[in-house]
Amino acid sequence: MSTEPSQRIAELVRSHRILVCAGSGGVGKTTTAASLALWGAMQGRHAIVLTIDPARRLADSLGIGPIGNTPVRVAPETFARAGLLVKGTLNAMMLDQKGSWDELVERHAPTPEARDRILANRFYKQLSQSFAGSQEYMAVEQLGELDSSGRYDLIVVDTPPTQHALDFLEAPDRLLDFLDRKIVRWFVRPSMSAGWSAFQAMNKTVGFILRKIEEVTGVGTFAEVSDFFESMSSLFDGFEARVARVTELLRDPATAFLLVAGPDEQVLDQVEYLADQMSARRMPLRGVVMNRIHPLFQGAGADLDADEPGEVVARIAGPAARAFGREVPPELLDRLARNFCAWQERARGDALRIEGFMQGLPEGVPLVQVPNLPRDIHDLEGLTSLHPFLLGRVA
Amino acid sequence: MNFDELLRRRLVFTVGKGGVGRTTVSLAIGLEAARRGKRVLMVELEGARGLERAIDEQRKSRPTAPELRRIGHIEVEGKRALEEYLGLVIPVRRLLKTVFSSNVYQYFVAAAPGLKELMTVGKIWYEVERTDATAPDLVVVDGPATGHSLQYLRMPKAAAEAFPVGLVHREAERIFSLLQDESATAVAIVTTPEEMPVNETLEISRGLSDLGLPRTLLVVNRVHRAPLTPAEIESLGGASPRDGDPASPDEALFAEAVRVADGETGWAELNRENVLRLAREVPIPTVRLPYLFTEEFGGLHVDRLSRDLAGQLDGKPSTEAA
Repeated sequence: MSTEPSQRIAELVRSHRILVCAGSGGVGKTTTAASLALWGAMQGRHAIVLTIDPARRLADSLGIGPIGNTPVRVAPETFARAGLLVKGTLNAMMLDQKGSWDELVERHAPTPEARDRILANRFYKQLSQSFAGSQEYMAVEQLGELDSSGRYDLIVVDTPPTQHALDFLEAPDRLLDFLDRKIVRWFVRPSMSAGWSAFQAMNKTVGFILRKIEEVTGVGTFAEVSDFFESMSSLFDGFEARVARVTELLRDPATAFLLVAGPDEQVLDQVEYLADQMSARRMPLRGVVMNRIHPLFQGAGADLDADEPGEVVARIAGPAARAFGREVPPELLDRLARNFCAWQERARGDALRIEGFMQGLPEGVPLVQVPNLPRDIHDLEGLTSLHPFLLGRVA
Repeated sequence: MNFDELLRRRLVFTVGKGGVGRTTVSLAIGLEAARRGKRVLMVELEGARGLERAIDEQRKSRPTAPELRRIGHIEVEGKRALEEYLGLVIPVRRLLKTVFSSNVYQYFVAAAPGLKELMTVGKIWYEVERTDATAPDLVVVDGPATGHSLQYLRMPKAAAEAFPVGLVHREAERIFSLLQDESATAVAIVTTPEEMPVNETLEISRGLSDLGLPRTLLVVNRVHRAPLTPAEIESLGGASPRDGDPASPDEALFAEAVRVADGETGWAELNRENVLRLAREVPIPTVRLPYLFTEEFGGLHVDRLSRDLAGQLDGKPSTEAA
């Protein structure tokens, strides 16, 4: 096996069918996922990236936006224009951010009447707006469908932005908990639809409690909640089986999890916990992409004190004058030196945090670092520019 | 709007995409309010831990700062708030215990959508409206850390619709009208000047407008400053790698210095486009906080940003940002 981390990430992409990019929001997860899928396509794979909210300009430049919940193939001419040799195909599928719950209901309601009843229920409307996890669930369900379609041999999943890196893995289970049979059964009891008065006859205490809760919340609430669950119950049976199937898919040896992170995140303190939790779910961490790092300059002068730009000025004055053609104004040199010192200070912090992070990583998990380049990535050229960092010189 | 005008409100609620520094900005506002003599209650929502940690860091890095004595902190948890509330409705303790341990109640709380969020906002207003000896003058809420910043602010309205009558309905309506009241509530939108956070900021801004909620302040965080102009970088030979190995360690150092200056200038230019976009699309009072190069971001940095934020609102030029 190659020893360079980037070559090991390349090996990982080559030897797996599903790559799940997990991590909290705002660390370049979408871009990383797209870049990996593009690389797979260049190597001859039929790759698809399942994504949530790509930057508009990236989607536009690939000619794939903004179609929700349908796979779209990037046209060969797009690659040709960028001068890229792509042996396979690159596809993208964007999850519709807002319509996830509606989509689930549309898809799984047994009859049009049941569908309309659910969509019109007041509790459903609140729920679909506020219950987190529908996106995660949809991503998982779509992954299952893409896999069983047999059309792709590399599926890269860009997980929805969450606060915690593990949220994506937990979402399907949380949804199952929420739709727990016991709760559902309880609410679809005939007595519930009749409202609390039926309970009151049965049991004095329960009746009292219900009356108190309803005083606080509003008359008739229980009947409505019950109606909601009753109409939703037709969807539940399928949910459980589907979640179970995709969970197995996530545990398949052909599936690999990559953590995408940045160097100033809380997640860096929690890597051991994270890795343990992933192992416990039998979805082990296979690699880490550390985005937006400030590489530390290792040459002579690297250990200069950030408060002493004077020393930097003294050392660079000569080379600067040669480049400038004459002596450089001291004020300009001073700005240059101060910026360098500030950057080095930040870079030292990044290096320390990453070193601590790596100590917590399970043995053998490769970590690649991508520098904090000053640009928004919004085209194929931008995506390929990440390849040397992510996948080494093999590209 | 100067900082004292902001302080005439009783509640400041921060919203923004995860990872843009919302907690830092919340604390920055709280610190300055406390410096101006206000008793400030910093509120963290269920499950978040960052604010408490940041306040602890303040106490460690600036133990003698007098304003810290006027800063308090609570974490508001929806379910506990609901129980406190039911405690007012059902004064008999033994009965309360029965209610809370009953399946009926557990299932109801789990199933009623948004009830916990509603109770969270209700509890925040309870703190705002307290008048006892320890009552805060200002409540600053570090908003939810998910992409759904508006969820909590929307909840009272949603609840008023979901529960057509009853106590919750009346409370929800009252709370929502307080949130809409610009003289009582300030909403501070926090963002960084980058493409995706700005996209989300525009969405949040529209959402607030649609709900009739105040858009009081926009805080653009982590604004990079160009150390050199592009022309200056060019005059120094540019940032592209030079052919061959550098002739000396000093040459290598110089090349690196130009390279990182070019990087920073690049960030500053990218930031500038987004700052302009924000100015165009979200024309409300705006503060720009600088990106700070630090080995480790800590209590002293939050304090610096706090003074910068207040200074800018009071019309002083930023001491740090470009």
